[in-house]
Amino acid sequence: MTSSPMPAPTAKQPAVDSDHAPKDAGLQAGGLISGAPKAVAGETMIAIDAISKWYGDFQVLTNCTTRVAKGEVVVVCGPSGSGKSTLIKCVNALEPFQKGQITVAGTKVLDKSTNLPKLRSRVGMVFQHFELFPHLTITDNLTIAQRKVLGRGAEDAKKRGLDLLARVGLGAHAHKFPGQLSGGQQQRVAIARALAMNPVVMLFDEPTSALDPEMVGEVLDVMVELAKEGMTMMVVTHEMGFARKVADRVIFMDRGEIVEDATKDEFFGSPRSERAQTFLSKILQH
Amino acid sequence: MLSNFDFSVILTALPYLFGTGMVFTLSLTAMAAVGGVILGTLLAMARLSGIPGVWHLAKGYVELCRSLPLVLVIFWFYFLVPYIGAYVTGAATPIQVGAFPSALITFMAFEAAYFAEIMRAGIQSVPKGQTAAASALGMNYWQTMGHVVLPQAFRNMLPLLLTQTIVLFQDTSLVYVLSLTDFMGAASKVAQRDGRLVEMYIFAAVVYFAICFSASLLVRRLQRRVAIIR
Amino acid sequence: MNYNWNWSIFFEPSPEGTGTYADMLLSGLYWTVVTALCAWVIAFTLGSLMGVLRTLPSRTANAIGTTYVEIFRNVPLLVQMFLWYFVLPEILPRGIGDAVKQMPDAPFYTAVVCLGFFTASRVAEQVRAGIQALPRGQRMAATAMGFTTAQTYRYVLLPNAYRIILPPMTSEFLNNLKNTSVALTIGLLELTGRARSMQEFSFQVFEAFTAATILYVAINLVVVVCASVLERSVAIPGQR
Repeated sequence: MTSSPMPAPTAKQPAVDSDHAPKDAGLQAGGLISGAPKAVAGETMIAIDAISKWYGDFQVLTNCTTRVAKGEVVVVCGPSGSGKSTLIKCVNALEPFQKGQITVAGTKVLDKSTNLPKLRSRVGMVFQHFELFPHLTITDNLTIAQRKVLGRGAEDAKKRGLDLLARVGLGAHAHKFPGQLSGGQQQRVAIARALAMNPVVMLFDEPTSALDPEMVGEVLDVMVELAKEGMTMMVVTHEMGFARKVADRVIFMDRGEIVEDATKDEFFGSPRSERAQTFLSKILQH
Repeated sequence: MLSNFDFSVILTALPYLFGTGMVFTLSLTAMAAVGGVILGTLLAMARLSGIPGVWHLAKGYVELCRSLPLVLVIFWFYFLVPYIGAYVTGAATPIQVGAFPSALITFMAFEAAYFAEIMRAGIQSVPKGQTAAASALGMNYWQTMGHVVLPQAFRNMLPLLLTQTIVLFQDTSLVYVLSLTDFMGAASKVAQRDGRLVEMYIFAAVVYFAICFSASLLVRRLQRRVAIIR
Repeated sequence: MNYNWNWSIFFEPSPEGTGTYADMLLSGLYWTVVTALCAWVIAFTLGSLMGVLRTLPSRTANAIGTTYVEIFRNVPLLVQMFLWYFVLPEILPRGIGDAVKQMPDAPFYTAVVCLGFFTASRVAEQVRAGIQALPRGQRMAATAMGFTTAQTYRYVLLPNAYRIILPPMTSEFLNNLKNTSVALTIGLLELTGRARSMQEFSFQVFEAFTAATILYVAINLVVVVCASVLERSVAIPGQR
């Protein structure tokens, strides 16, 4: 394990490795990201460099810069309308931006020569409203992009899809349609669907905020598991419990700017900015 | 080819096309729209009344009209109206009805079925609480409808009613099958007389397009305003 | 009323000498149905294409789709019928124009093309509305998984949009069927036209129109039943 060339992000990295050494064994047998090479600390997976974005005259992102290292879990939080969802959607160019650059696993997002569908197929994304395809069975939801985008054979795709479905605890529901599952179940399927593409990084856009409270836990459990297995994750969420449990770093945004970018302990211990303090006090009161 | 396109044919025909043809088309459209909306509203109310017999009849009429082509209905009324007239006036032989009244009755009766469906949706779009509130104030059925439900239904459905009127405006061209002189009939008569089909039919298309397109733009603007008020 | 009803007229030979009046009406029904079906093929494909163009994130595509819809929606069908039948052969280069004029069954082909293009503008509006009614996230989710635009439409947006718009598409199909009657003006021997000929030959107005009315109501019922069977067979379990 090489030491990180980057200062803040990877403080936890060695600890993770030793902590979860036994889990690693289980990773081959039953992990969510089977076959993925274990993270090498320090290698930058997502580099966001000074990006700005406008909707007409209205600026939604102002000069945002941050790094996500391989294997790192970064939680993005902030009040609504702060631009956090927009920022995460810029990472796979679902939202175009006008200034700056984002590099994902060495590929520049804002570059004419970049094959965006190919880049996106390597970046998993989980949406607030699940966005399973309502006309396809759970199995087809899990396999369609594997077959049509990655060109995998039907059998391979199905095997991988059902494998992942079993691991998010929904193996019995393969034949059903999305409308027949609860919100929490749908979101777990959505996570499995994204993982089926063997992504190098996973983006979560408020994955639990459209769920009934009693279903939040089952989705967070899957995400915690994924984090422990070393997946690189960028998560927009208000779930501070999740952040405390698995985040390496917390980014706090307000009015389109990254106000605070700190390790978890720093952020929860002594947030520097007043805006972050206010936000935290509001969120943690309840 | 279009190289021998003769504008002067159109120019000399303009007084006839608009003075006779378009006047017929516009009066027919306007009167059929007003009559159709009134009749359609009554049909919608009948259909929603839940009174056995009444709502069946209204539903049957609307469904029947909507499953028949307008051309067939035009023929139906063209031959039927004289008999109805004779029945109403007690005359022994079918009475002759002028071309315009005959066409007007046809379009009113036919379009009423389409307006009825729009008004039915409009009446249903008014929340039940409104009817309850009106009843609580002691209003009877006609007062509730007249003062509370229908005004709101009309406002909600105004864009759709106007769009249907544009359709009606286009549909009136079908009186051609009775050889009446509406705008299209006038254009076709000139076309036949002067042997100038290309000029007259292209001109007719352009005029219809200009009128319908501008009207639909106005309806769209109105729709946005209505949407904001709501 | 002094009208002489004569219901046995249907079994009397028509003056055309090809059979009874009933045969005449049934052949009208046949041409109505065949014309409607052929026109629908054009309307459905062209209309879907134009509807999709209006939802693409490209100004040029939007403009093409919008222009198409506005032109074909704002000119009466009768006028369009005359443009295709009388005007088009005149403005084509002479050789082609003459060939078109001498084509056998010209009224049929003209009616099919004219109705197809006309109905396509209505289908386009339905398809556009259906696609726009889908949650925006669906397009995003498909894009995020690496689907190209074409794949996004093929596998995600269209299968859902078509299901949503099945009821309005059924009424567009019925309109298309009824609109075939406008083609009697260019000499297509469809149902309404045949009923009218029967009335002219036999003077039995109301028998002829009653029979045509019953036939139209019958095909309407058949279409409605087929549509509801189709609707049930493509319904997605657990939705709504």
